[in-house]
Amino acid sequence: MAETLLWVLPLVPAATALLMLTTRDRRILSAIDVGGSTVLLALTLVLAREVTSGGPRSAGLLRVDDLGLVFLLLVAVLTLAVSIYTVGWLKQALAVGNMKSELLRSYFALVHAFVATMVVTILADNLGVLWIAMEGTTITSAVLIGYHGHQHGLEAAWKYIIVTTIGISFGLFGTVLIYAAAAAAGLQGGAGALSWSAIMKVAPTLDPGIVRIGFIFVMVGYGTKAGLAPMHLWLPDAHSQAPTPVSALLSGVLIKCALLGIIRFQTIAAAACGPAFPAGVLLVFGLISVVVATPFILAQHDLKRLLGYHSVEHVGIVALGLGFGGRIGTYAALLHVVNHGITKALAFFAAGKAIARYGSRDMRVIRGLLGVAPIGGTLLLLAALSLAGVPPFSIFVSELLVLRAGIGDSHWVAIAVFLAMVVVIFAGLLHHAGSMAFGEPAAAASREPESWSPLLGMMLLAGIMILLGLTIPASFDGLLRRATEIVR
Amino acid sequence: MSTETVHTIIDDLGALLLFTMILIVAAAQIYRAIYAVAAQSLFIAIAGAVLATATGNVDLWVIAGVTLAVKAIVLPWVLHWVVQRMNVRREVEPVIPVGATLALAVLIVVVSFQLSASLGPVRQAITGNALPVGIALTLTGVLAMATQKTALTQMVGLFASENGIFFTAMSVTEGMPLIIEIGVILDVILAALVMTIMVLRVRSTVDADIADLDRLRG
Repeated sequence: MAETLLWVLPLVPAATALLMLTTRDRRILSAIDVGGSTVLLALTLVLAREVTSGGPRSAGLLRVDDLGLVFLLLVAVLTLAVSIYTVGWLKQALAVGNMKSELLRSYFALVHAFVATMVVTILADNLGVLWIAMEGTTITSAVLIGYHGHQHGLEAAWKYIIVTTIGISFGLFGTVLIYAAAAAAGLQGGAGALSWSAIMKVAPTLDPGIVRIGFIFVMVGYGTKAGLAPMHLWLPDAHSQAPTPVSALLSGVLIKCALLGIIRFQTIAAAACGPAFPAGVLLVFGLISVVVATPFILAQHDLKRLLGYHSVEHVGIVALGLGFGGRIGTYAALLHVVNHGITKALAFFAAGKAIARYGSRDMRVIRGLLGVAPIGGTLLLLAALSLAGVPPFSIFVSELLVLRAGIGDSHWVAIAVFLAMVVVIFAGLLHHAGSMAFGEPAAAASREPESWSPLLGMMLLAGIMILLGLTIPASFDGLLRRATEIVR
Repeated sequence: MSTETVHTIIDDLGALLLFTMILIVAAAQIYRAIYAVAAQSLFIAIAGAVLATATGNVDLWVIAGVTLAVKAIVLPWVLHWVVQRMNVRREVEPVIPVGATLALAVLIVVVSFQLSASLGPVRQAITGNALPVGIALTLTGVLAMATQKTALTQMVGLFASENGIFFTAMSVTEGMPLIIEIGVILDVILAALVMTIMVLRVRSTVDADIADLDRLRG
């Protein structure tokens, strides 16, 4: 049952994508969109039950364990929220001419193809398949980033496809080196020698020298895709130029899929050369990301670019959590992956609605949002508070846990830098959010009533965000604990 | 073929690969860079054929054939077609002087050999000097991309960089699994297709080189 589901799961969005090509009607397209995403989420929940009761399952090149499940749940939930949000967003985008109705079906088809490639990266047991699917996400999402067809979108899309393709070709080199190490350690059997679970069994016997070089290549490669500084240069452009639902997917899940790739290699490297080596590399990249993102967040005027740089910071925090390691650090990093994914998607949704209302992405123009759109404005404010790390929202909990892991391990310098940056960003973000939400609305702002579907999509995410801030449900806690044991 | 002979042939091909890489980095005209990357892919295909004969691995024959067809013939032909269609008046525009780029390339080669000389027994899992040559090709490809500001030279640098990975991958004992190599090649083709469409689209709408756009900052 679960073995069949493993193959069916990536096929659901793939089939949805093909189905999109059969019609041009916007209503039918949106119905297929929401329907396909609902089926994906339902099947993911069934698979989660199976894995919880029966442990990891594998079927050929694919495999699911508790670690993959954390990411899979995030993808499925966000895909559904994006589909619901898209219904209303699309109506508005068509009205102002941001999207063209004759291109709609290929847009929907690409979104679901993008989701399908992300599902494969998560379920891939074979490291080669992981790489192929990761490059697949680059190709599908690059087209989506340039979808509006204007010059800025194409510039961002070009930078994205060139930087990430060259970046993950480093990831492929790293994979080849790990494969060579596994072959030298006597792992036989064609595609089996690239299987993560097979390599993990012989990992302690791998040659540490070549694994070290391989891990650095992988870290630079998948780190580019994850948006870790200094390889993040494509990220603010791509996340700000993409259509809003795509921005949410890019920031919410795509960079997390790359992090999962890094975690897979981290476990191999930790077994082969001791946990200190990969942890050190992760700490360095994490700290650079947090530090580099800070000044750009403070000086930013473009709302979507602000959120883009913010993703760089949060990916850095996840890397720090993984680098501090141990039970708490890893648990915190995985929790932060989920929290940031949910919150950032919510922030992009709310920002997209605000930008449409004011006709500008400049935060100096967006004023008094609460006055013209009370619910949307509140949601944007909530998302910003959570992103800044205010209790009782979910990100506060995971950031605190990351901090706790660092203190437990006495990484005083890293802790000091991390804290200083988080405090500065806290102040900067609250300043930006406050000036957008409060005050007298500009006369140019649209005062039309808020449409229901974007609000529904946002409420779904806001609900999860607040729930995870107040309490972590026992079943989810158990899942995270088991996933932590796999990494540790 | 004896193991010794295979090692010698692979090392000689490696030297030729590095030579074509120098031609790409130093190319003053986009056509020359395209021919150089085509020649480089041809050498990779020959290396695949040699390794296939030596190890009796049928998969490697397939990989060599696909590399020849896709990377040595189809992709260079597409790049050539794009150059003609775009009617590029400008030549390659280096960001820093070619001499400095070449010096950096030499540095990369030396460091790559130093790095892999420090590795122990695992070197036996990779034929001859394929590991340092592969690392050097990959890094020099990135150098070529970073030092030139036209879309097509960036694509050439990307393909050259990937050639380095292919060379190392086929020299690992037994070679990479066939299904993975095919998947990787498929990705390369799709990425090239998407990039070509973007380049032509920007050229037709704003008459500029896509790599030259720099409106997004800060």
